[in-house]
Amino acid sequence: MIFNIFKKELIDTLRDKRSVRMMVIIPLLVFPVMLNLILFSTKKIEENQAEKTMHIGLIKDKSNFLTSKLKQLSNNKEKQLLFYKDSLQLINALNAKKIQVALVLESTFEKKLKTFQPARIHLISNDTELGFSDRMNNDLLQIEEQLKKERFQQLKINETTLQPLDIKATNIASSKEMIGKLAGGFLPYIFITFGFMGCMYPAIDLFTGEKERGTLETLLTAPVARWRLLVGKLLVIVVAGLISASCGFLGLFFEIEVFGFTGEPEIATLIHSILSLKFIFSLYLLLIPLIVFIAGLLVPIAIYAKSFKEAQSMIAPLNFVIIIPVMIGFLPGIEYNFATASIPIINIVLATKELIAGTLTIGLMAWSFFVMLSFAALAVLFSYKRFDKENAIL
Amino acid sequence: MIEVNQLTKVFELTKKQRKELATKDTKAIAVDGISFVCKPGRIFSLLGPNGAGKTTTLRILATIFQPSQGTVSICGINTLEQPHLAKRKIGFLTGSTGLYARLTPNELIKYFADLYGVSASDFEKRKAYLYTLLNMHDFQDKRIGKLSTGMKQKVSICRTMIHDPEVVIFDEPTSGLDVITAKNIIQLIQDCKDQGKTVIFSSHIMSEVDLLCDDLAIIHKGKIVYAGEMNAFRAEMQAQNLTAEFIRIIESSTK
Repeated sequence: MIFNIFKKELIDTLRDKRSVRMMVIIPLLVFPVMLNLILFSTKKIEENQAEKTMHIGLIKDKSNFLTSKLKQLSNNKEKQLLFYKDSLQLINALNAKKIQVALVLESTFEKKLKTFQPARIHLISNDTELGFSDRMNNDLLQIEEQLKKERFQQLKINETTLQPLDIKATNIASSKEMIGKLAGGFLPYIFITFGFMGCMYPAIDLFTGEKERGTLETLLTAPVARWRLLVGKLLVIVVAGLISASCGFLGLFFEIEVFGFTGEPEIATLIHSILSLKFIFSLYLLLIPLIVFIAGLLVPIAIYAKSFKEAQSMIAPLNFVIIIPVMIGFLPGIEYNFATASIPIINIVLATKELIAGTLTIGLMAWSFFVMLSFAALAVLFSYKRFDKENAIL
Repeated sequence: MIEVNQLTKVFELTKKQRKELATKDTKAIAVDGISFVCKPGRIFSLLGPNGAGKTTTLRILATIFQPSQGTVSICGINTLEQPHLAKRKIGFLTGSTGLYARLTPNELIKYFADLYGVSASDFEKRKAYLYTLLNMHDFQDKRIGKLSTGMKQKVSICRTMIHDPEVVIFDEPTSGLDVITAKNIIQLIQDCKDQGKTVIFSSHIMSEVDLLCDDLAIIHKGKIVYAGEMNAFRAEMQAQNLTAEFIRIIESSTK
């Protein structure tokens, strides 16, 4: 009987364009579209910046030394030096966007250079014009390097004598561990966000929607126990959540595989090594109770609400309630131990990080699974209590 | 046969409901100790103004609600003790019945047949009979959302009758329907009577009551204020017509 209910509700849900859009299309497309858009626009901005001629403002007759150094570095297409009478004119030119950066040398600049003292260059820019101050800084660093070398030669100093320590740092953590600890929380974030999104519309449609359309009354006249109706519907919501979350993963995987989002082939190889069947199985084992828990939270709200609109407005804050523990799981210093493994959602985020790093212990994983399963069972029980209330269902 | 004995239904009001109803009462008595019997092969009409308790009574008969007090027996089955067995005997149709718009009539009818535990062979026979009777073959595979109101009502009737119920409950079945569709429903009620089924329907349209019913009960503020045979009601009538008599009874009960 539950299968009959599940089958009918699944067909009904899969024919609902709104649910399918939220469950499949958006999760599949969001990463390829969003990440490619970011990549494309970043690349475009960088290209534009590199091609754009940088206009550098200097004070006439007080910048001869720097002018010659800049000219030695510069490609005239990329840089153009413009000279002004004083600092005020430089600032005005900056404000009028005639120049992108201004360089002001202190009055004793050349004297200090000759006497081996640090000579100040004041770099003035309007950083709303992205990239120009960085370009200028790079040029100045090149000039500084040249000057350093000249000073070492003049003072007859070996460069290494000014390097008293030779620090060699070795990180014994594998790349897998590093990815797991630093970016591992991202996977449950995707799963929870898309899982929630995928569950939301079917939950509203199968409960609030049925109330609104008057089909729930008919259904309740059928000789079927209410718990069977609830389980049949709940299973569809869970499946919708899992489909949505899986589509989110697929979209991300597609982005990495087809568009090479990671850039570095080493990282792509590493991701392939992480994505084993065992990993995917363990991940779903952790995440299925989480989706059941989410569905169990959504159903009582959907039962309580009298209209689609009311259900949506009531469910929106729940999204934040669920995302907060995910964010806590992201925080540095939050370790996966018995205490954190006992807190729902946080335990799944931390366990996933350990799973990616390859450091997940079976004991803690089993405990997290048990905790999440218990909370999922409680949420389902609560849903049942609501569904069994006469004044809540009609 | 439907036997209703001292039926009472009290709803606990939530804060939200109290606010909506603008009341401080924590409870609302929807049905207050009513008793009546509906016999097979006869049509029983439950009459009453809006908010009288008709729908609540019918929902209790259909086991959607549980009574706070009293008992309901459907074909000798106590609905509190064996609700699922009782439900198998009941067909329930309301004027506001919604249908699953994204399913086809075939899918919907099969789904409800499964829910009622209709065997495959019985299903095929009943389906063929009802589809022919209601002339549903032309739109059996179209999505219900695309059907006209009349077609949808036919699907509703088919859904109600697919398990061949012994008791049929109609809650304001013609409310909001056009005259042609309403006529089909009236015909269905008449057919059910001719087939020896127990029929109960609620309405506030006196012409329908006059046309169809054998027995009637008038309910007001949760209590039965008149019960008897239709012929006796006509004979004892003090007002000029049925509607005026109905209003007279309601008004005299509130004095």
